[in-house]
Amino acid sequence: MTTIQAALSGILLGGLYALMAAGVSVTWGVLRIINLAHFGMILLGAYLTFELATAWRVNPLVTLVVSVPAMFVLGGALQWAFDYLRVSELNSLLITFGLLIVVVQSVSNVWSADFQRMAAEVNPYATESVRVGRFVFPVPTLLAFAIALLVILGAHLVLRRTFIGRALRAYAEDRPIAAAFGIDHRRIGVLLAAVTGATAAVAGMLFSLANALTPATAFEWFGTVFAVVILGGIGHLVGTLAAGVLVGLLSSVVSVVLSPATAPFVLFSAIVLALILRPQGLFTVGATR
Amino acid sequence: MLEIRQLDAFYGDAQALWGVTMDVHDGETVAVLGTNGAGKSTLVNAVAGLHAKRSGRISVGGRDVAALPAHKVCEYGVAVVPEGRRVFPGMSVYDNLCLGAYRRTARAEYRKGLDRVHDIFPRLRQRTGQLAGSLSGGEQQMLAIGRALMAKPTLLLLDEPSLGLAPVMTDEVFEAIEAVNAQGVSVLLVEQDVDRALEAASRGYLLAEGRVAGAGTSAELRASDTVQRSVLGI
Amino acid sequence: MTRRFAIGFPLVVAVLACLSLYRVTLGFPLFYLALLTLMLFWVTQATSWNILSGYSGYFSFGQAAYVGIGAYSTAVLFGRHGVNFYVTILVAAGLSAVLALAVGAIAFRLRSLRGEIFALLTLAVPFILAALARINSSIDGGQGIIVSVPPFPAGLGLFQDFLYLLNLLVAAVAVLVAYLMRKSRFGWALAGVRDAEDVAEGLGVPTFRYKMLALLASAVIGGVGGSLFALQIGFVAVDSIFHLTVPLFVIVMSVLGGRTHWLGPVVGVVLVVLLQDRLTASGLGEWQLIVLGAVLVLLVLLAPEGVYARLRARPLVALVTAAVVAAAVWLPGEPLDAILVGLLAATAVALLPLRAAPPAPVVAEPAEQAAPAPVAPPAEPVGVGEVLVECRNVARYFGGVRALEDVSLTVREGEIVGLVGPNGSGKTTLVGLLSGSLRPTRGSIHVAGNDLAKLPPHRVAHAGVARTYQIPRPFTSMTVRDNVAMAIMFGRSPRSLATARRDAAGPLDVVGLGHLADAYPDKLNLHQRQLLEIARALAADPKVLLLDEALAGLNPAEIDNAVEVIRRVHRSGVSIVIVEHLLRVVNQLATRIVVLDRGTRLADGDPREVLTDPAVVRAYLGKRAHA
Repeated sequence: MTTIQAALSGILLGGLYALMAAGVSVTWGVLRIINLAHFGMILLGAYLTFELATAWRVNPLVTLVVSVPAMFVLGGALQWAFDYLRVSELNSLLITFGLLIVVVQSVSNVWSADFQRMAAEVNPYATESVRVGRFVFPVPTLLAFAIALLVILGAHLVLRRTFIGRALRAYAEDRPIAAAFGIDHRRIGVLLAAVTGATAAVAGMLFSLANALTPATAFEWFGTVFAVVILGGIGHLVGTLAAGVLVGLLSSVVSVVLSPATAPFVLFSAIVLALILRPQGLFTVGATR
Repeated sequence: MLEIRQLDAFYGDAQALWGVTMDVHDGETVAVLGTNGAGKSTLVNAVAGLHAKRSGRISVGGRDVAALPAHKVCEYGVAVVPEGRRVFPGMSVYDNLCLGAYRRTARAEYRKGLDRVHDIFPRLRQRTGQLAGSLSGGEQQMLAIGRALMAKPTLLLLDEPSLGLAPVMTDEVFEAIEAVNAQGVSVLLVEQDVDRALEAASRGYLLAEGRVAGAGTSAELRASDTVQRSVLGI
Repeated sequence: MTRRFAIGFPLVVAVLACLSLYRVTLGFPLFYLALLTLMLFWVTQATSWNILSGYSGYFSFGQAAYVGIGAYSTAVLFGRHGVNFYVTILVAAGLSAVLALAVGAIAFRLRSLRGEIFALLTLAVPFILAALARINSSIDGGQGIIVSVPPFPAGLGLFQDFLYLLNLLVAAVAVLVAYLMRKSRFGWALAGVRDAEDVAEGLGVPTFRYKMLALLASAVIGGVGGSLFALQIGFVAVDSIFHLTVPLFVIVMSVLGGRTHWLGPVVGVVLVVLLQDRLTASGLGEWQLIVLGAVLVLLVLLAPEGVYARLRARPLVALVTAAVVAAAVWLPGEPLDAILVGLLAATAVALLPLRAAPPAPVVAEPAEQAAPAPVAPPAEPVGVGEVLVECRNVARYFGGVRALEDVSLTVREGEIVGLVGPNGSGKTTLVGLLSGSLRPTRGSIHVAGNDLAKLPPHRVAHAGVARTYQIPRPFTSMTVRDNVAMAIMFGRSPRSLATARRDAAGPLDVVGLGHLADAYPDKLNLHQRQLLEIARALAADPKVLLLDEALAGLNPAEIDNAVEVIRRVHRSGVSIVIVEHLLRVVNQLATRIVVLDRGTRLADGDPREVLTDPAVVRAYLGKRAHA
């Protein structure tokens, strides 16, 4: 019984992991930038939601009006700079690591290192839950799962069905040939990174609904999110969603059945196994890299 | 259509073309012959903008494209069928073709373009949902040509379309090239199969060690033994 | 070990030790001793990081894992269970080593994305360890652990002195190890890995082994340092140990100081720790990390080689600037401020863009290559001997693409085999198979009696196969001479660096690059770089040399020179397989020609016969030629 409840909660939680991972995965797969600063943008998104909802006394969802455009611009600007400076894949790791530290410390300076949570009167979702039969689902997780699903599947459709989406996939597979067919690498790169930034804002908002915020949270996402990225296959959105759900399910069930202490180990072993057996990701049909 | 004057091009730091001058007139198919390493692919890449380092003049329809990056050259109506096909292996046949129509002027009419390509290569219609990487070599070559046609080019650059194909397939590909040319597209055809190339083209140039070593009509080139000697290196 | 190091290093360590041993006599304030202790801790950690990540180019974000394992080993065993403190240091070293070997065994075996996956694995490890420590209250009792003072010899003075000396000892050992590694074949192997890993492997460097050893050394040093850290902070809790400031600090320190040099991290540590201390003292503590993060970003973009290399380029100017600025600040204020400002000024001077160095006058070739041996009759066989290379029914598929199908080929001693064929006929695949970097899907390849399928690439080199790359891939951080010396050092019979450097003159003379021995590869033109490829391959003392389009992109005069070089190599008793587009050249050189077409062998025999074979002509000219 509790196991089933844990499994279901884990699946819901996995949606948020997947949303966080999707941005990292796509920028890595398409733009060859391993963007650790993405975690910083999620953190900024979360704090923006917290700050604006508290200051304006509005529903946290409304704050996206500000945070999404802000992160859109930030993400795009960052990619423009990377492109301009011709940053290599390994250097992107070092640079975005530095940026992440700058963001986290700045957040800490502005909002302090203490845990902060939106007040109950602005965040109507925090305490509500939906009861289905004998199972209970907190509204924030449901909401997070639904929005994550929407964003990822939407992005997936865009990649599959539109000219821009095809251009991005083609660019990921063969840059010079894509260019020969009229694809301007800087333009689509900046656009992609900007959209990725916007998803970071959404992920941050969703995280802030159910959790108390502290700057160091950004670092705690690392292990889980990279597990999702690698298991899902770098650059594969649907794979990322599936991997997010799998990771959520796995860690949640393991915590209940064995003990919370074993969850990181199970997760870590999963990454290791995946790297050895299927380095191209669990859910990819044919690897393209 | 295409005017190349005194073109120097580099492969890394190695100079691969020295002062190449050649023309392709409207609606013409022109062959470029030569051994491996004579600079044929470099020529195609230099025109398409895939080589950053080049100097000289390359004008397409009267506009100089020698300094432009590839995505701008494409906007002037140049489409390329690269050496080794280079289809996007992880994308479906349909997506590969649609990608070809990415250029602004082609995008609006991509349905018409699809019909045109499917008429020339009926086989691509049957394979439409399949991943390009799973096609046979000949089918990939058709796809690469189809993809280039989707861009509604005025100038088509073909780099070794017979490479690695069985003879039957090569026949089919060359028929398609003639069909495309018949629709009014100018073609620059780089090929090591001398006989086929000269059959498809009205004129030809011979490249050797990065320089133009000969030129003439197909009949002249077929008769001359310089071509054969140059290609075999004897 | 150079004399300067043999005298200077013990001297510096002795002076530092005296600061504590005669602290009272010298009137050296305890506060400074504490600052120095902190610096020594970071010297240990940054050097530990640099041994792996700086030398070999594999970035680790997991330094906190070693610090954590070290600190927890000591805290739990010594602090809670009363195990002897010195024993816990050994435990820390052992546990760190085990962790490192596990991570390396996974990441270093991957085919692609090795560097990135290694970085991400190391990023994840500390968080997993932290989660483990946080959740398992049986480890730290749930509240953190107080680490008391272990017994130490009374003659050393206060606990602070003991701690300082202990850290000095460990840091000195770390720097010594880093120095010895850098100066030995170990360091050269790692530099090869950093510059071009698979080239190094192909020249006979067992890269996997060296990477694992570097990882191991890094882990042990880091773990021992972490062990001392537990004493230093006195109270071990998850949040004070597994923090991202540890990898940030070691990375910034090493990148700032200079990653390729053993002393680089030390320079970085002094700058960063002083800066950090002064920021805190001025009440700007919360800006520390922002400053360091920004410094990292700017350095990677602007001065990736670090301060130390720049300082060495202009030591006097920097020294004078440092002294003048420091003196100016010293008079009114605090000495530490003065030192910091002086150092920062020197750093700024060092990092100023170097004035454009005069273009190296390297390209001037000596008039007409040193005595081009009297014209040899074209392709006169040196006398064909025993079978050296034997490929039997070799096939190689890439996914569904059949690059080679059922190819058999023998190369005998003394032959020059020309391997020709249209584009896409499988020549480069065959070279890859012969050099051991690819494995055949079917069939067998023997070289001098060794079955290649059973050997890792570096052992294939030792079996007597060397190759050149179509696009030259020199080790960019080494001189021309050292590029060649690498191949001698790691060849069939290993040599010392000194011997290898001396012996490098031989291959360099054969290709006519002797006059450029001290230049760096980026100063060479394409032809010279291709000659360097040949010299390096030759230095591995091969029985068979594989030349993969060694003449591509050359002008006619250069081609003639290269042909002469290849003849000279051949006469020295090396069999050659040459892949070349220019049939004219192959025709001149080869004693036998093998033609590949669409992955199968089309012809094999005397050059003149092969090139007039109708099937070959057809493959080159098209189906109806000569019909």
